[in-house]
Amino acid sequence: MRSVDKLPDDQVNVSRNHPLSEAMTLIVGLCLIVGLVSVVIATSVDLLAPLVSPKAEAHLLEPIWEQIDKQMDATTQAQAKEVTSLLNRLSMHWVDRPYRFRLGIIKEELPNAFALPGGAIMVTSGLIAKAESENELAFVLGHELGHFRHRDHLKALGRGVLFNLILSMAGMGGGESVSLLGTTGLLTERHFSRDQESAADRFGLELLYREYGHVAGGTDFFKRLRQEVEGGNLTKYADTHPVTAERVADLQKEAQARAWGLEGALRLPIGKRR
Amino acid sequence: MPLDLVFFILLLLVTYATGSLAERLHFKNLRKREQWSRKMIVTNFRTLPPEWEVTASGLVTGSVVISVDYFKRILAGLRGLFGGRIHSYEPLLDRARREAIMRMKEEALSKGYNAVINLRLETSRLASSGKDGKGTAGVEMLAFGTGIKRARQD
Repeated sequence: MRSVDKLPDDQVNVSRNHPLSEAMTLIVGLCLIVGLVSVVIATSVDLLAPLVSPKAEAHLLEPIWEQIDKQMDATTQAQAKEVTSLLNRLSMHWVDRPYRFRLGIIKEELPNAFALPGGAIMVTSGLIAKAESENELAFVLGHELGHFRHRDHLKALGRGVLFNLILSMAGMGGGESVSLLGTTGLLTERHFSRDQESAADRFGLELLYREYGHVAGGTDFFKRLRQEVEGGNLTKYADTHPVTAERVADLQKEAQARAWGLEGALRLPIGKRR
Repeated sequence: MPLDLVFFILLLLVTYATGSLAERLHFKNLRKREQWSRKMIVTNFRTLPPEWEVTASGLVTGSVVISVDYFKRILAGLRGLFGGRIHSYEPLLDRARREAIMRMKEEALSKGYNAVINLRLETSRLASSGKDGKGTAGVEMLAFGTGIKRARQD
């Protein structure tokens, strides 16, 4: 038998396509699929959320509310009383309101406000301290009422639950690629909530006008927040409520279009009245 | 951009660079050693060719444990979602096979054998300790055969 010495073939068992191009194809494909699924989920949640009755929604809040109530002390409770009366005055102007609104104050330096399903509005003590007039605070509350009007909080909750469900399902099959999925989902979600923000802004401005007869002070809070953001102090409120020049301009345009006065007497802020 | 995403992308880029460098250097080294030992006959015949005159024989083994980089593991993970050939693991297995055979040949030479017959390859997966032992830390490739000392080579 004759033997011929041959070197191993170093091409046949290794594919010659570049790993980077493969990675790009897969990542782009994944992002497309995640984006598509996100849009489908967001749209279906938006369609389904109005079908949930406010009563059923209020039921969701009960366990959360107990906790919020527990963490409020004497000072915040006194403040909460005052802010609640302001909230009640504002919500009177929303005639067919399906909720019984409640207000909670969280002890937190950073100014922030958000709506919880079931008719609860949460405000941080930092936000109350930062407001330089009652009108400013009224606009923030009106904005949150606007979220209730469009049932944004319920939509956000529904999306959150569905996204988490899908993430955990993908987590079983996908391993480490999950962190990528989560970010894409979040980005898409944020895009949706920007439209919701401006709709809530318009509703807040309308309540402000109905209450005071003018909309002065409505944009002051944003303007001051913007200065802080540009000064490098990015606040939590700005995180969830992007404060852009565009947003302030939109509000002013809306006020002009509906002939709401941008000037008027401001009322003293809560907590600095006595 | 969230910090963990930045870290993730950075890790991908760095491990891509280190992983491809290690791969390129290993292939280069393999080619050199294969060239150097090409005269040694290694076959997977189970029996000796009848004309060989054998003076000594014995078991020879060579094994290697090898891992892929983070980047390729992520790439394989994406493949796990979509399905298809996992190209990113191919160089890993090719390197493991050739390195194991090379080590076996080196052991055979050091024991004074000049040929190996009945070459066999075995693979086993080494699971990583993290993630409930589900992740792949690397593979072990074992090459073994019968080292043969031939009296006269023609």
